[in-house]
Amino acid sequence: MESQFAKYKEMGDFILQYGKDMLIALAVLTLGLIAAKYIRKQIAKGLGKVISKKAVASTISNILYVLILFMVVGLALDQAGMHTLVIRRILLLATLIIVALITIFRPYMPTLPFKVGDTIKTGDLLGKVETTTMLNTRMKTFDGKTVFIPNAKILQDYVINYHFTPNRRLELDVGIGYDQDLLKAKQIIETILIQDPRVLKNPRPAVYVVNLADYCVELSGRGWVDNPKWWTTKCELIEKLKLRFDREGIKIAYPRRDVHLYQETLTAEANDT
Amino acid sequence: MKLKDAVKIFDEKWVRKPTGFRVHFQKRVDSELITEYVPGSDDSPLDSDVAAWRLAWKLAQVYGNSEKNDEKCMFFNIYVCDDLGNPVCHYATGKPEKFNSQPC
Repeated sequence: MESQFAKYKEMGDFILQYGKDMLIALAVLTLGLIAAKYIRKQIAKGLGKVISKKAVASTISNILYVLILFMVVGLALDQAGMHTLVIRRILLLATLIIVALITIFRPYMPTLPFKVGDTIKTGDLLGKVETTTMLNTRMKTFDGKTVFIPNAKILQDYVINYHFTPNRRLELDVGIGYDQDLLKAKQIIETILIQDPRVLKNPRPAVYVVNLADYCVELSGRGWVDNPKWWTTKCELIEKLKLRFDREGIKIAYPRRDVHLYQETLTAEANDT
Repeated sequence: MKLKDAVKIFDEKWVRKPTGFRVHFQKRVDSELITEYVPGSDDSPLDSDVAAWRLAWKLAQVYGNSEKNDEKCMFFNIYVCDDLGNPVCHYATGKPEKFNSQPC
């Protein structure tokens, strides 16, 4: 009983002696963490206006956030009466070692083949990358769905990054009947490609006869366009092609079967029976 | 003539691509016809004549669906022009088109 009482007394003395400092240290830590998050947000906002690359602004604000965290933790420990000099030195050394290791081994680390803002296709998902974390990538599809993809899945599958190159080839594929004016059709397609300001002059647009199919002569017009304009340009060129073909009297082929009836043969067979 | 010289002639005389398109229209302000462009001269032009003609058509529809004495909606002589101010043929008809034609 007396030993229990002595223990409680010891605890009470300890709290009386150090309690106030611990409380202040806890308050410093709590307020410091809240302030650090707020400052990080404001820095990221401010840097976002000054630096055009979001990734750079994000990295700088994250580094400053880590430094502020170190300061807050150091202050809290100081307030609690601990000697923080050794801890700070160890933390600084650990930080330097980590940074050195990352710098040396960075080329060998698996990285995602895209940046935030890129339009990518992975598997059967097509969309814009909104953010990447250590574990997953958040992507928004063009019909408004938000998809979270595990990074491990992305690294194991193929990825098409539509922003990796500045431009992309578009194809205007059309089939015309065998009885249509082939040269005229080719000239129309080439003119449409050449006259559109979004189709690049180099590489030059070209039109090819790619196949003599069952019911049509297949033509393919090829031109290069800047990546962001690819989709709208392709749609509008298809529209112009159809309207121009209609105007020039060129018929676009569709699957059909010609049936030939030989009247004389039928009559003879009927007479025999 | 070398091939590259011939190609250069194509680029200058045939392949000249407009750098953009604007919709030209006029509206009545205090009984005067004022010419305006969309997008404005200070803004980047549209890079698609299809988009420009669609915009021109919409402006013409505004007039067609408004009260006749509503000056804010009375847009006349609407057509698409290129970066040099030259009228552009409609991509569907291949002919110059003008919506809500009015004498100046």
